[in-house]
Amino acid sequence: MSTRPFTTVLLGNPNTGKSTLFSALVGMPTRVGNYPGVTVEEKIGRYTHREIPIDLIDLPGTYSLSPKSPDETVTVNVLFGRVPRIPSPDCVVIVADATNLERNLYLASYVLELGLPTVIALTLCDAAEKKWISIDADELSRRLGCAVVPVVATTRQGIATLREMITDAPHFPRRNKINIEQHLAAVDSIHEPAVREAIARYAWIENILDGVVSKHPSTTRSFDEQIDAALTHRLWGTLFFILTMLFVFTSIFWVATPLMELMAFGVDTIGVWLGSILPQGAVRSLVIDGMIAGVGGVVVFLPQIAMLFFFIAMLEGCGYLSRAAFLMDRLLVGVGLSGKSFIPLLSSFACAIPGIMAARTIENRRDRLLTILVAPLMSCSARLPVYLLLTGAFVPNVPVGVLWLRLPAIVLLSMYAVGVIVAATVAFVLSRTVFVGIPQPFVMELPRWRWPQAAVVLQRSYEASVSFLQNAGTLIVAVSIVVWALSNYPFDEQAIEAEISHHRIALKTQLESLRAAGQETSQTAMELTEILAAMETPEGIRAAQKGALQRQSFLGRTGRLIEPLVQPLGWDWRIGCAAIASFPAREVVLGTLGVIYNVGDVDLSKKPGENALVRRLRAATWDGTNRKVFTLPVALSIMVFFALCAQCASTLVIIGRETGSWIWPVITFTYMTTLAWLGAFATYQIGTWFMGA
Amino acid sequence: MHELSLLKKGSAGRVVRIHGTDSISMRLLEMGLTPGVSVKMIGAALLGDPLEIELRGYHLSVRKSEASRVEVAGS
Ligand SMILES: Nc1nc2c(ncn2[C@@H]2O[C@H](COP(=O)(O)OP(=O)(O)O)[C@@H](O)[C@H]2O)c(=O)[nH]1
Ligand SMILES: [Mg+2]
Repeated sequence: MSTRPFTTVLLGNPNTGKSTLFSALVGMPTRVGNYPGVTVEEKIGRYTHREIPIDLIDLPGTYSLSPKSPDETVTVNVLFGRVPRIPSPDCVVIVADATNLERNLYLASYVLELGLPTVIALTLCDAAEKKWISIDADELSRRLGCAVVPVVATTRQGIATLREMITDAPHFPRRNKINIEQHLAAVDSIHEPAVREAIARYAWIENILDGVVSKHPSTTRSFDEQIDAALTHRLWGTLFFILTMLFVFTSIFWVATPLMELMAFGVDTIGVWLGSILPQGAVRSLVIDGMIAGVGGVVVFLPQIAMLFFFIAMLEGCGYLSRAAFLMDRLLVGVGLSGKSFIPLLSSFACAIPGIMAARTIENRRDRLLTILVAPLMSCSARLPVYLLLTGAFVPNVPVGVLWLRLPAIVLLSMYAVGVIVAATVAFVLSRTVFVGIPQPFVMELPRWRWPQAAVVLQRSYEASVSFLQNAGTLIVAVSIVVWALSNYPFDEQAIEAEISHHRIALKTQLESLRAAGQETSQTAMELTEILAAMETPEGIRAAQKGALQRQSFLGRTGRLIEPLVQPLGWDWRIGCAAIASFPAREVVLGTLGVIYNVGDVDLSKKPGENALVRRLRAATWDGTNRKVFTLPVALSIMVFFALCAQCASTLVIIGRETGSWIWPVITFTYMTTLAWLGAFATYQIGTWFMGA
Repeated sequence: MHELSLLKKGSAGRVVRIHGTDSISMRLLEMGLTPGVSVKMIGAALLGDPLEIELRGYHLSVRKSEASRVEVAGS
């Protein structure tokens, strides 16, 4: 027997369980979800059966062999062996949904005509049984002239048989039994030829299925239908949608907070412990001021990330996403997008990269480009920690008087809203200027309702958590170390002392001149006295030294160079540096802030469970004064900046790849960064004016 | 005979014709909306568009503009 691997493709309509079947056959986890467009590119996995290696290819779903969107094009190209790195298939497994055989066999009618060795896997047999649909698989097999295997991919039922059939398929050439012509002749000739062919194929299907599928229609409306009626109801459905979104975001804020405090306590404890065992010096500084300060501020948000992905996976698994897309279509058309943009945009709340890739399901190039351009404006999970930290630390925790909502939750929601509103505006403007075009179709299957599979939901949360921690352990550690190095070198003791004494003299002179003018009791004078007194304490001396070191460091010099650019946003040069360091990947910002603001505050015993980074930010003052850096308008301005800015190199790379041109990432970067600056500027100015008034 | 988009919520009809042979019409046909098939109107989204219909045992969403290419006869 030859050992040449045997290429087998999984082909079928979207959402029929191809990826689930792929995982079951190969034993390799894949992304699955109860909506069309989860799989957008081919995935290859190998398993061995009866000593024959089999290369199984999972493909995006398609309804026919004339592709209408980029993901369907991938499928058809692989099937016809047009992709150079993939051998043309030796065997096709048609994955057909047992609850909906009629429509599933339409694609099958084309595939069977190709004459390739074919096996039909009847998936979702458990769901069919629940709907009282029974299928005579043997009879179907006889009529189609190929093996038909009923399976339940989620419980691996029928998988062993399917494996046998796949291995055997090439040895049993199929007798071609497709006879469309006979049905074609019976079609009324008033229809166009293309229409006649479709009619003939469905007539063939009806003929094949006659006596094979038996349905026992229930007299009462099924539970599914009732849920569907409520959730796609024009009024209740829309209300439910809004409440769901509110619930998801507020619960992320409130439910995960106690867990987060636990994490913060753990991080602090590790910091104190390391502080007690490491000798004074550069290593200690690197570990405590660089790594713990950097990573500690980030990992505490693990519970929130896990929860966000838990909710997303629940929504993906139950079939709600397609309903939400249905409800939102009109609104999206209004701003120049389409209902098909909904799932890519919603996925972007987790991460823009899969979101942008999911845009491949959009048939029309114009809609697709627009969706891709605005997808990075959806607040991804990397922005969540920034929002959580700043709202938690600087937004007063007061009720707003509506439902159970409190101000921090409203601010958090507003940050998500800012991204959505700006995206809508950008899409609206572009669709009426650059991307003028005709309205595009929205023909979308609404998948049946299903309980999300616990394993899939947990897997998704787990994967997101692992990758979050991995990021914290690699990228954020690395950036924290670089920032630490840049802010601690060059180290010139004399220059530091010189700066401190220079500063002290300047303050004293100022105070004396105030005294001379008889303004000893003025607020400025009091403040100056306070600062001068603080500078004499051991802690104050240490803080002053650290501050001076930072100002003279590479980072400090660069920071003060860009300060004019960020001052209108209410930021000091340190925030400016943190923002700039976050351009390659925004998730590093808290780490960077943690390292940069690690001046002075070392009192870890103050409030167990409180984030050390929060303490540092609350204590931060403008250089040489005791004016606080972080006020409410500043915190809001930072959040708005992060909500709108294109701080993710990977996203830009993916945009380039998906659009096939470098011009779109450049445009995305430019427009987002400009809007971010303007948005932050407006927020700070308006906020300051409000606070003053 | 009237347009599919005019079917009342909860009522059913039989498809008589699909106008056009562009990609939108082809997609409708591929999805099983062929002459002779029976369709049921399930409802519409907030602003009356798109529509949710049931055919061949599954649910499909189409916009009014697409549904207007489909002629149905009350059954
Ligand atoms: N009840 C049931 N659900 C299944 C089965 N196979 C897949 N699913 C679910 O069907 C949905 C679509 O599955 P997926 O593998 O992503 O389909 P694909 O789009 O064809 O790749 C997911 O929610 C799966 O959990 C099955 O045999 N039984
Ligand atoms: Mg898939």
